[in-house]
Amino acid sequence: MSLLDATREAFVRLFAGDRELWTIVLISLKVSLCALILATPFAVALGFWVASHRFVGRRTVILALQGLLSFPTVVVGLVLYLLLSRSGPLGPWHLLFTQDAMIIGQAIIAFPVLAAFTLAAVHGADPRLRETAVSLGAGPWRSALTSLHEVRFAVVAGVLNGFGRVISEVGCSMMVGGNIAGFTRNIPTAIALETSKGDFAQGIALGAVLMAFALGVTALLGLVQEEREPR
Amino acid sequence: MSVLLAVGEAAKAYGAKRLLDVAGLALAAGDIVILSGDNGSGKTTLLKLLAGLERADRLRMRFDGIEATEGRFPRELRRTIVYVHQHPYLFNTSIADNVAYGLRLRRVAREERERKVRDAIGWAGVGHLLAVPPKRLSGGERQRVALARARALEPRVLLVDEPTASLDAQARGQVLELLRQTATGDNCVVVACHDRELLELGGARRWHLEGGKISEA
Repeated sequence: MSLLDATREAFVRLFAGDRELWTIVLISLKVSLCALILATPFAVALGFWVASHRFVGRRTVILALQGLLSFPTVVVGLVLYLLLSRSGPLGPWHLLFTQDAMIIGQAIIAFPVLAAFTLAAVHGADPRLRETAVSLGAGPWRSALTSLHEVRFAVVAGVLNGFGRVISEVGCSMMVGGNIAGFTRNIPTAIALETSKGDFAQGIALGAVLMAFALGVTALLGLVQEEREPR
Repeated sequence: MSVLLAVGEAAKAYGAKRLLDVAGLALAAGDIVILSGDNGSGKTTLLKLLAGLERADRLRMRFDGIEATEGRFPRELRRTIVYVHQHPYLFNTSIADNVAYGLRLRRVAREERERKVRDAIGWAGVGHLLAVPPKRLSGGERQRVALARARALEPRVLLVDEPTASLDAQARGQVLELLRQTATGDNCVVVACHDRELLELGGARRWHLEGGKISEA
């Protein structure tokens, strides 16, 4: 099959509502969104806390977060595999090769992105922001919430970046999900499999969906940026 | 006139440099105090210490039976004293939300809150700017919104830092007029400034800060 034929076949499958293809898309979305929901509160809280407190080892924590941004996803998968495998310390939880394991893995991958974005946003916020909130009567919690509200667009940008990173990662999902059809097969693992099988049409169709997600996220980031800095 | 705010002692040093070491300040209801001093003399630091925004090395302060020290600045006091920055920060919401912020924190009922916000916005003459995002306001407009936000809370002590700095003549005049109206008789206002017109404001007390000490003219 030529590249042109494969591409034509890919779009036929997409628009014909190919069940197998759209199941893969839905699994991808479900896993990545759940991972973000799991990671966001903790990552934002950590990013905020590190940005607004001085403590021994703060610099190390910031460096660690920045280092984790480029941490290979396959290594996250490997570590998680060792933890979740039958002989691993978390083996009794029977999570290996489940969507839950993929969600945990993607949450770990998204965590430093979300935390680093929040940290940078809060750290870069105007110091008068907190003083103004406190002077108007806000206690520590309320002034923290106000600060987060003020940098909300940067935090949303972090969430969108995190989504972009986890929806397209293949290493961790392959290792802890096992690429089981209809259960843990997501877009990146399916592309890898279909390409190795020579079913380029399916690979191209899924690649098109992934690119649509990437473009959608970029467009959303643009809107967020526009909102943050109105012309 | 009875003392509203008594500062027994307020001291702050940065490293070896002693910036502030003032004692025996007293403010009575109805007082307007013009705080002058060179750049870097500690005017902003003093106002922030009094507002509890900066930690003092030593602080003894009393307002209406509530005591503040360097280690403890009670919340009731924070809600009594409002500080307005030289270049005020406006939250990235609407002007009305900015003015309502402190009232929400004080759980003022919705109807009363809306009335106070309307009154404060009308008082500051910023009603025509309600649809404008705060980031697009000029320096003078931001200062007026910040004064409206403070006035809505009816603070007993209002501390205003260089409110006319870097404003053009018209904006300066508007802000000065608002400041004149801010002293209501049962509150006190301290304004740090260089502005000659403010320095000559009739009926105001004058504090001059030099070498960390305050002298009253």
